[in-house]
Amino acid sequence: MRPTALLAGFKISAYLRSHRIVQPFVGLLAVMIILYSSRVAPGQELPSYGDSAALLVPVFAWATRGLLDTEPDVQRLISITAAGRPGREVAAGLAASALVSAGLAFLALVLPPAIGFQAVPGTAVLLGGLALHVLSVLTGIALGALSSRPILPDAATSALTMLGGYVAILLLSLAPITWLTVPIISWMRAAGQDAFLSRSLPGLATVTVFWCALALVTYIRLRRTRP
Amino acid sequence: MRLANLSYRYARRAPWVLHEVDLDLPPGTVAEVTGRNGAGKSTLLRLLAGTARPSRGSVSGRPAVVGYAPEIFPVEQPFTVSAYLSHMAAVRGTEATSMERWVDRLGMAALLDVPLGDLSKGSAHKVGLAQALLVPPGLLILDEPFSGLDEQTRAELPRVIDEVAAAGGIVVVSDHQNGLTAHPGVTHLRVENGTVRAVALAGIQDLARDGSPGDAPARSIIEVLVDAGDAEAVARKLQAEGYEARIRGEAR
Repeated sequence: MRPTALLAGFKISAYLRSHRIVQPFVGLLAVMIILYSSRVAPGQELPSYGDSAALLVPVFAWATRGLLDTEPDVQRLISITAAGRPGREVAAGLAASALVSAGLAFLALVLPPAIGFQAVPGTAVLLGGLALHVLSVLTGIALGALSSRPILPDAATSALTMLGGYVAILLLSLAPITWLTVPIISWMRAAGQDAFLSRSLPGLATVTVFWCALALVTYIRLRRTRP
Repeated sequence: MRLANLSYRYARRAPWVLHEVDLDLPPGTVAEVTGRNGAGKSTLLRLLAGTARPSRGSVSGRPAVVGYAPEIFPVEQPFTVSAYLSHMAAVRGTEATSMERWVDRLGMAALLDVPLGDLSKGSAHKVGLAQALLVPPGLLILDEPFSGLDEQTRAELPRVIDEVAAAGGIVVVSDHQNGLTAHPGVTHLRVENGTVRAVALAGIQDLARDGSPGDAPARSIIEVLVDAGDAEAVARKLQAEGYEARIRGEAR
């Protein structure tokens, strides 16, 4: 556990020092400006969080892909031997990605009550927003990991796969069948309805976690032959 | 440590890079791996280090602590030498002060505050060696360790290798520069046609002396006369092509 955590720290340090975080941060700011340039009226906060979670998926995917690609290929081999086994290097990359994306999601959660909402919403709205952004981070990590350099060495193919994957998920989730893919459109629709936390969230979270877990298991399996 | 029936290829239908390799590396072994470019030396080292998985067969008895120094150290990282080695020491569960010993022995004192991206090839190589040695390794993998090193470090490296072996560690060295050819007690492994086989040192010495190859496949000695000043450059070019090339002395 300790080598994995310290290796995750090394990866985050490299990511921040390389200034690659500027790219998803600019993406995050753009989404915040689009959503909150005019203040959100009371009662409309959770739908805004729903839109934010849906629009930030490619930002979290970008952050994940950027972090996993910061380390040169040969350094990954050194990191594997330093950490003791390949699984620890893979786990460290995913943990580091989760931390960076969580930091960005935190900004997306606290900026609106500070400057985007007309009034500070209640706990239920904040919890709903938190849950939606956790699902968004999870989806972004899965998408970013599958388009990272160990899986797709060509940079252009990787970028197209990441953005194309997001668009495909959006289009598929327009269908009325919720379980077909990560139900991003359903997140947005459900966030505007009553009793989101108790009625809609459990089902949406289950489907989202299932697809993301499948994607991450695929990533971990592919990394066994792509160190 | 044992490689049993080990085969490796990059993709399901790709040709075998290594095929049905059996190899025993008992504790204290120092093995020098030679072979032409693309023969599979680096692949063999990565399989030994555990950074690549065999397509078939197994690697058993790999020591817990593995040090791996790559042929080309990746300098495209936003750290100074000191910060990088501190991170690697932390990941390996040791104090950052563990780097001090290797900073002294490898002549890196002036490099500590230098960004990795500003290092010369030889200096970067030293960082690659130092990180592999931060914790006494049970298995030390060195991919072309003599490449680009200054004379002092070239002389120090065999001593470091002997120390690791004396402590019961296994050292495997890919070596185009023949830095360990005459080193006593070295097991010589040749990677050729997807196989790995031990070559007796006597065979190599015989070949150098009179051209008789012993139990090695037929090989020839060619004489190349060059200006004394060019000798080292020509020898390095031939070594880079995968040939065994040595400077024998000056002709009158």
